[in-house]
Amino acid sequence: MVGQVSARRAAGVVLQMVRDGRIAGRAVLLAGQPGTGKTAIATALASALGYDTPFTSMAGSEIYSLEMSKTEALTQAIRKSIGVRIKEESEIIEGEVVEVQIERPATGEGTKVGKLILKTTDMETVYDLGGKMIDSILKEKVQSGDVITIDKATGKITRLGRSFTRARDYDATGQQTRFVQCPEGELQKRKEVVHTVTLHEIDVINSRAHGFLALFSGDTGEIKPEVREQINGKVAEWREEGKAEIIPGVLFIDEVHMLDIECFSFLNRALENEMSPIVIMATNRGITRIRGTNYKSPHGIPLDLLDRMIIVPTAPYDQKELREILSIRCEEEDCQLSDEALTILTRISMETSLRYGIQLITTSSLIARKRKAPEVQMEDVKRAYELFLDEGRSVQFLKEYQKEFMFNENEEEENQMEIN
Amino acid sequence: MTDWVSRLRNAKKSCLTQGNLKKVHYELEKDLELVEEYNMDTGVLTRRAWRRKANLGGEGDWDVEIGDQEPPRFQKDTWLIKEDPNQPFVTRRITKNILEWRIRNLPYPMEMYSVTADAEKRCLVVRTSNKRYFKRLSIPELDRVNLAPQQDAVQFVHKYNTLIITYKKPPEVIQQEKIIFEDVKNLQSNTNDPNDCKVS
Repeated sequence: MVGQVSARRAAGVVLQMVRDGRIAGRAVLLAGQPGTGKTAIATALASALGYDTPFTSMAGSEIYSLEMSKTEALTQAIRKSIGVRIKEESEIIEGEVVEVQIERPATGEGTKVGKLILKTTDMETVYDLGGKMIDSILKEKVQSGDVITIDKATGKITRLGRSFTRARDYDATGQQTRFVQCPEGELQKRKEVVHTVTLHEIDVINSRAHGFLALFSGDTGEIKPEVREQINGKVAEWREEGKAEIIPGVLFIDEVHMLDIECFSFLNRALENEMSPIVIMATNRGITRIRGTNYKSPHGIPLDLLDRMIIVPTAPYDQKELREILSIRCEEEDCQLSDEALTILTRISMETSLRYGIQLITTSSLIARKRKAPEVQMEDVKRAYELFLDEGRSVQFLKEYQKEFMFNENEEEENQMEIN
Repeated sequence: MTDWVSRLRNAKKSCLTQGNLKKVHYELEKDLELVEEYNMDTGVLTRRAWRRKANLGGEGDWDVEIGDQEPPRFQKDTWLIKEDPNQPFVTRRITKNILEWRIRNLPYPMEMYSVTADAEKRCLVVRTSNKRYFKRLSIPELDRVNLAPQQDAVQFVHKYNTLIITYKKPPEVIQQEKIIFEDVKNLQSNTNDPNDCKVS
C-alpha cells in the first residue's frame, strides 16, 4: 500500500482493538473523497485479521432486495460477522496426495470436475471433489507429495507438510518446508477439532426444512426470529460452560450513504447488543440528504449514529504517492511505461482523478501496441487523453453541446413555462 | 441381563408394523435415536440405524449399522468431498448364526486379502497385500456383550468383486438377541400406518 499514513495508522489501532476484543459494539467510519483508498484499507484490514476472524463485506445498496426485507439482510450480514469457536467431533481425511486431477469443460462453461487421490501407508482412495472444494484446492496449491487433512464437514484444508518420500524431488525447497511421515491406517478418522462457524451458519443449519420439504428449500430466505433466539440462548449456554468462545468479527459496509433511515436506526440498536461485530463503514459523501428523509446530515448518516463512530478521514494522495500507485498498477497490468509517460500520467491523475489515470494505463498501452512499440511513450498517453474524456472535460463538453442531445427541447419548454 | 438390554428397555419406544416387518424406534437418550427393523417371520434383524443430533443443531444423517445404506437423497451440489462411487464400500447383514460384512468394489484376487481379529482394539482388520485397501471393522454386537473378537470365528471369501467376511455369533450374542426379540414381539404396535393415506 502507498500513502494514507495517518488513515493506515488509525486502521492499525482499530486492528489492535479488534484483536483484543475491546470495541465490539462500536463503529468506524472511513470518510474521504472518491479514489482515496477507503475500500483498500478495509480489505487490507480483513487480510490482516487472518483466517479465524469472520469478515463480511457488503455494499450499501446490496440490502435492497425483493426477497428479503432490509433489516433481515442487515441481520444476516451482522450474524455472518460473528464467529463461534467450538470444539466438535468431526470426520477428517488425512493422507498424502498422490494426484490431483481437475478438468475444466472444453467450452469454458459448466461445472469443473475434480478428483483427488489420497493414500496412507496402508491404502489408497479416489475422492470426487465438489465445486467449492476444487476452488480451495487450487487456492491452497495442493500438489502431489503434500500431506494434508481435510475437514469433511467444512472442507477446510490443512497442509501438514511434504512427504519424506518426496524429499529429493526438488533441490530448491524453501526453508519453511516441513517433511512429515506418510500417515498410517485408514484415511478417514473421527477427531475432535476446533473450528469457527458464524452465527449465520448455525442459523441456516437449524432453519433448514426437514425431510421431504428439504427438496424444495433453495436459499434459506428469511430466518425466523424464534430460531435465532433459540440459537442465541444455546450459544450463551455453551459460552458459560466454556465449550465455545465468541469471536466478534468485522462487517464492512461500503457506500454506506445508500442505507436509509430505517437501516440506520436498526444499526443503532444492533450496535448496542453485546454480541455485535465491529462495523466499518465507508462513504465518499459530504453533507447530504439522509436517504428516506428530507434531513441533511454529514455523510448522509444520522447524527446519533455518527456520534457512536470513530471517524477516520482519508486524504487525497500527493504527487509522489500517485506516481508510485500508477507504477504498481503498470506492473499488475504488464505495461511498460517510459519515465516521461509516467510523469505526464501522474500530472493527469493530479488534475483529474486517480481512477481516470489508471484507465489511461491500459488504453495507452493498447495504443502503443498498435504502433508496435515495446514501451508506452508520452505520445501514446497524449493520444489516449484525447480519445477518452475525463469527468471534468465530459461535463464541459455537455455544457457546450447540450442542445444537440435528445430530449433537450422538452426542458427548454419547461423553462419557458416557468418564465411565463 | 446386560447393560445393552436394560438400555433398550429404559428407552422411549414407538413401533409400527408393515406386512411382516416390525419397525421400532428408540429414543435412547437426549439427541440419540435408534431404529430397528425386524422380520417377524424369521425373527432376524434386517436394519439398524443410528442418528445423533449434531452439536450445532440440525438433523444429522442416519448412520446405518445393519442393512443397505440409505439411497442418496436429492442433493443440490453443496457437497464438498465424497468418495468416488467406484471405491470400495461396506454393507452389513446379520442372520441367525452369523454376522456378515460385504465389501463391494474390491477387484483384487482372493490371495491378496487378510482379515485378522484385533482383540485389543476390538475390531477386525482388513488389509490387501498391495496396500490399496485397509479397514477396521468394528463389531458392535460383541461390544454389547463385552466380548473380544476371536480369530477362529472369522471366515472370508471373494467373488464378484466382493469380499464377504463372516463371523460366527458366540452363544452370548444369540442369547441376548433372543431376549430383545421377545421384547419387540410384545411391543404394542401403532395401528395407523403413516404411509396409508385414506382418501375421503
